[in-house]
Amino acid sequence: MSTERTVRFSLNGRAVKAHVASHESLVQVLRDRFDLFGSRESCGQGLCGCCTVIVDGKPVSGCLYLASFLDGTSVQTIEGLAPADDRLDPVQEAFIEAGAFQCGFCTPGFILMTKHLLAENRAPSDDDIRHYLTGNLCRCSAYPEIVAAVKLAATKQRGG
Amino acid sequence: MRPFDLVEPATLEEAFHLLEGDDPAVRPIGGGTALMLMMKEQVFRPVRLVSLRHLAPQFGAISIDADHRMIRFGATTSFSELEHSAVVARHLPVVVRTMRTLANVRVRNVATLGGNLAHADPHLDLPPVWIALGAQIVIENPAGPRIVPAEDIFEGYYETNLRHDDIIREIRVPLNASQRASYVKITTRSAHDWPALGIAVRLEMKDGLAHHPRIVLSAATNKPTRLVRTEALAHGQPITPASLRELGEAAVSEADIASDSRGSADYKKHLLRVHLGRALHALALEE
Repeated sequence: MSTERTVRFSLNGRAVKAHVASHESLVQVLRDRFDLFGSRESCGQGLCGCCTVIVDGKPVSGCLYLASFLDGTSVQTIEGLAPADDRLDPVQEAFIEAGAFQCGFCTPGFILMTKHLLAENRAPSDDDIRHYLTGNLCRCSAYPEIVAAVKLAATKQRGG
Repeated sequence: MRPFDLVEPATLEEAFHLLEGDDPAVRPIGGGTALMLMMKEQVFRPVRLVSLRHLAPQFGAISIDADHRMIRFGATTSFSELEHSAVVARHLPVVVRTMRTLANVRVRNVATLGGNLAHADPHLDLPPVWIALGAQIVIENPAGPRIVPAEDIFEGYYETNLRHDDIIREIRVPLNASQRASYVKITTRSAHDWPALGIAVRLEMKDGLAHHPRIVLSAATNKPTRLVRTEALAHGQPITPASLRELGEAAVSEADIASDSRGSADYKKHLLRVHLGRALHALALEE
């Protein structure tokens, strides 16, 4: 039986290992073993995006991803996005400048998804943004500001 | 969720061995996005999950035959690999268009084509598209592989006739340069909700007449269902307001539609009448 295993992976650029049970999810392990609280389980169904984590360069729902599958992967969370302690990522700056949140609970997920939207599409339209972020819910309903933040981030990343 | 035995075989033989017996709590797992939901709700309590992800080198490729007559999709291919494949965009644009409103980016990055088929939720978007495109499913089994039309694996609501030791290996889609196809997802609450109904249509147009149409209804029925009588009626017909009305009525009388939280049966029948006609009309106008 292998109901538990040790997984070794890269977490925000650092080699780590964790002993995980077969039924534990990625978001549980990040919070319980690594004290990384930026990804949150909210809907628990992959619909809301609060648990967004980047695995091998792709955003996934941490609540639907078995931690056992982490072995050998590279994981990035919102905590690993800023390039330095005193500097934010342009997407983080854009969300602050556009006031694209109220309570902030959903913000890490929106920011990580935006990072990947802009990697695929340097100048997304409103429609592109709304489709890409359809799996992220903001219960404060900051959507107009979020769309503005994504466009601002796109401009910043293009060097504008 | 409760602990279970999680194993990751590297070969098909090993996978068969791990699936042996007839315990319904021993199942294969692909990306796991759908199974996770069922496990969280304790609808499914696995004793052992046999992960297919280490079979990906053999099972995870998209390839096109040299004569361009067939595309093969490995069962562990993720939805996003499908979505971003240049070969798929060129030869099966309907599949790429379907991705845009299928779940969301994160689910598409993880969910697999084989798992999607085996899940057999009638609301899923891709099964009706596969059926409309005439896809064949390659299924591996210790007794030997078999190839079946996509529509033949579905039995009912979350129900397939896949056997306990079956592993879906590949989805094969025949190509036809003159075919046109579309999938219409009709949601009645928010745009990205589960559909109230899905309609997948493929046909060829010859001299202004529809040829060899395939019409598949999903979500409103307990499994994705070909409307074969409506298909037969549409074959050789011009696409006119009168024929579309007739085909809409034929589809409504042929389909076994039930009421649910996304609409009454009467409402869904009306949606079918209207949207089937629009879908056929749009395909007829395509260049």
